[in-house]
Amino acid sequence: MCDGGDWQMAVVQIPLRFTPVGSNRHSMTAQTVQQGDLVTVIGLEVHVQLETDTKIFCRCSTEQTDDPNENVCPVCLGLPGALPVLNEGAVEAAVKIGKAIDAEIPEETRFHRKNYYYPDLPKNFQITQYDEPICQEGELEISVEGERRDVRIERAHLEEDPGSLQHVGGSIDTADYTLVDYNRAGTPLMEIVTAPDFRSASEVRAFLAELEEVLEYLGVFDAGRDGSLRIDANLSIIEGEEADENGEIGIDALEAANRTEVKNISSHKGAEKALAYEETRQKNAIKRGRVVEQETRHWDESRGITVSMRSKEEEKDYRYFEEADLPPLRVSHWKDEISIPELPTARRERFRSEYDLNEEAASKLTSTKQVADFYETIADEFDPDLAATWVADNLLGELNYRDMEITDIEDRLEEVTRLVELVAEDEITAKNARETVLRDMLDDEQDPDSIVEEAGLGKTDDDEVQSAVVEAIEENPDAVEDYESGDDGAINFLVGQVMQKTGGSADPGDVNQLLRAELEK
Amino acid sequence: MSENIFITDETIAGDDDGPLAGKTVAVKDNISTEGVRTTCGSKMLEEYVPPYDATVVSRLKDAGATIVGKTNMDEFGMGTTTETSFFGSTDNPAAPGHVPGGSSGGSAAAVAADEADLALGSDTGGSIRCPAAFCGVVGIKPTYGLVSRYGLVAYGNSLEQIGPFGSSVEEAASLLDVIAGPDERDATTREPPGGAENDTDGKSYASAADGDVDGLTIGVPTELLEGADEGVVETFWDAIEDLEAQGATYEEVSLPSVEHAVEAYYVIAMSEASSNLARFDGVRYGHAAGEKGENDNWNEAFSQARKEGFGDEVKRRILLGTYALSAGYHDKYYKKAQDARAWVKQDFDEALSEADVLASPTMPVPPFELGESLEDPLTMYLADANTVPVNLANLPAISVPAGETDGLPVGVQLVGPAFGEREIIRAGSALE
Repeated sequence: MCDGGDWQMAVVQIPLRFTPVGSNRHSMTAQTVQQGDLVTVIGLEVHVQLETDTKIFCRCSTEQTDDPNENVCPVCLGLPGALPVLNEGAVEAAVKIGKAIDAEIPEETRFHRKNYYYPDLPKNFQITQYDEPICQEGELEISVEGERRDVRIERAHLEEDPGSLQHVGGSIDTADYTLVDYNRAGTPLMEIVTAPDFRSASEVRAFLAELEEVLEYLGVFDAGRDGSLRIDANLSIIEGEEADENGEIGIDALEAANRTEVKNISSHKGAEKALAYEETRQKNAIKRGRVVEQETRHWDESRGITVSMRSKEEEKDYRYFEEADLPPLRVSHWKDEISIPELPTARRERFRSEYDLNEEAASKLTSTKQVADFYETIADEFDPDLAATWVADNLLGELNYRDMEITDIEDRLEEVTRLVELVAEDEITAKNARETVLRDMLDDEQDPDSIVEEAGLGKTDDDEVQSAVVEAIEENPDAVEDYESGDDGAINFLVGQVMQKTGGSADPGDVNQLLRAELEK
Repeated sequence: MSENIFITDETIAGDDDGPLAGKTVAVKDNISTEGVRTTCGSKMLEEYVPPYDATVVSRLKDAGATIVGKTNMDEFGMGTTTETSFFGSTDNPAAPGHVPGGSSGGSAAAVAADEADLALGSDTGGSIRCPAAFCGVVGIKPTYGLVSRYGLVAYGNSLEQIGPFGSSVEEAASLLDVIAGPDERDATTREPPGGAENDTDGKSYASAADGDVDGLTIGVPTELLEGADEGVVETFWDAIEDLEAQGATYEEVSLPSVEHAVEAYYVIAMSEASSNLARFDGVRYGHAAGEKGENDNWNEAFSQARKEGFGDEVKRRILLGTYALSAGYHDKYYKKAQDARAWVKQDFDEALSEADVLASPTMPVPPFELGESLEDPLTMYLADANTVPVNLANLPAISVPAGETDGLPVGVQLVGPAFGEREIIRAGSALE
């Protein structure tokens, strides 16, 4: 769970716009903001479920199951007398995230209790981190419309996920009764809190997409898991004249502005839609001279609108205090001992220089770690260009068409490699490989060699093609004559003849070359 | 069993052999026993049956002990007399008509009345030592981290330890031998530092009960004698003289911080309690309020369950603890109490650098008459003046019977350095 918008955590100076990497973000010019402009300011609290085998404070499995209250024990049920024991795997994942976002990792990290009553919370307090989070002051570089920017991450901390509620016979307000499932309770969560650095919904989307990509690269996150990403966003609209001469908005202006906290967002696409809606709603209110209420709003994905949850939000007091059952954990040395893989942005750049790829191809080929790893396997074995075409265009294209991911064919990547090998070694034509073999492989789960054999797609061997070329020349003296008298188009007729003789299994380009060579003799 | 010692009579057999084979043990009713209800002396948990054993209970069973019942206690450990129990008060077998002390009153009474050879209690601010003193038996509060708390229903989780009662120091120490030692289910348990060195003469705590105090230096904190009952103080000095006669020396030491210890203790214990007891809302276990659909929302259902399930003292401590942790008061109370705790620790460290053990009366007063002080929580809180500093400092302490005043038992408390259980066991055994 999340506290309502911690704007207090924001540093005093808030940059109005992102600044290109390398320049000083605090020396923006004021030209970007005009008098009368309305500036949108957004900050995020992103909850990410960490991918660990067991829960954060007990040994229950984190596997999702349809049977309610299946993966539970005295600890995650909060039974009297049960005590938490920290899963160091969750801490390791958190340190990886910290390294990826270049955050400060403290000497030791400790846990606090956040006290509030809610039926999904087994102990009626949540074990979380307060004044010594595992990550502080990091940043994540994103790319928006070709421009690279840093988003500041104020903190990222570990905590336990509560259980989940199922409202029976209605919504949260109207249900006859509510069922509680504690399977989720104790799943490790990382809460990532950004500075209010976003100025548009599309920036938020770019950030979340990049964050997901980084987390997947680190192997600490499974985007396909239901509820693995949950976003709360704070959005407020500030008058342009509040900006100082440097184009920055001070904390005072930010605090003075009413903001809404939008909850129940569960994807980067959803975030863009929800915040675009909320931005328009607030701007319209201001333009019509109405006051924007400070409130919590619920993103209703199916209706595509945000709805007010509580009009007058009480200031919550969580009575944080130290969790004495978990001794402080020394993590200062973990940062050096734990290694992380090359991250997407760096890998993208390396792909461009090392394999001479264009930006689009490099971006596609680094979209997930699995794709990038597979590309490198192929590129190193065959030709980087051929590999790029096969992985970025053919494979991802066909997978996308079938609504599949590369992870869905993880155990068949060797077969795809074999297919590329068949093409690279000229055993089959690129067209046949792409349009027949690959599609059949994905649809019928057959291996490429048997498809090639069954469909008779194997390229005719060179001798056979050569004799067909000789035959075609002998049988068509008129065409030969036309060619020799300068009618280059006649060669196409001869190619057609050879193709006929070889049953279409020869490569037309090769045939063309062979014919020309034969005719030159 | 006219004393109302047990909340639940239940025989739980242990293994056939082991160091405690043939021994009967009474277990305080805030220590989880699989399949046997564990009420914490509260209506809230009147019908709660844990699905698991506390680590100490598993260790008892493995050691061959037979558990004979779950003992009466102040509700959730909140009291000094066992009178806040939902299941009624317990009479003191050593001083009929008087309270057995608390909160582990039933456990001390079980040993005093010979209903069990040994007993387990828990001590958050004196809850083992006070009833040991009042019932004329031996009780040990171990160093924080020596005994697993897994399965002990938490009251003040940064302060409390499970510990043994016995009719002699050696008996109590033999039970400590069984329950002590790290547990992977309690992250605060530790191997005693230099454990191997401590174990050179036989590995057991029981073997330290050899009565050899020749050359022992005893520090007497003068602050812990101030305001104590005259008869109690007299009995205490008799005990010190007894130790002197056996070759020990004593000196007065000072613990200036202890005048703030009671305040600090109650702020910390109540703050922790307000959080630890939050889980009792009637959803998963315990007393639930009303019928399905009777309450309009869960907030009402929770508060009704808690209103009905908790007694006055528990409500008082939850409310005070909630207040102490609240925004605007946190620094004034909780943070200040933590500062005081650090100061108390430092004072003990200094005093224990001058003396091997520290001695004081366990309780500044003899046992109250039943019903005498139930209506006056403040008097009760102040009676903990000598025991709570030890919990704030995470140190081990033993209470050993030292005689009587006006026919009422008096106990002497000996405090040792962290993981210095053997020191206090040795010194305590010299008083027998």
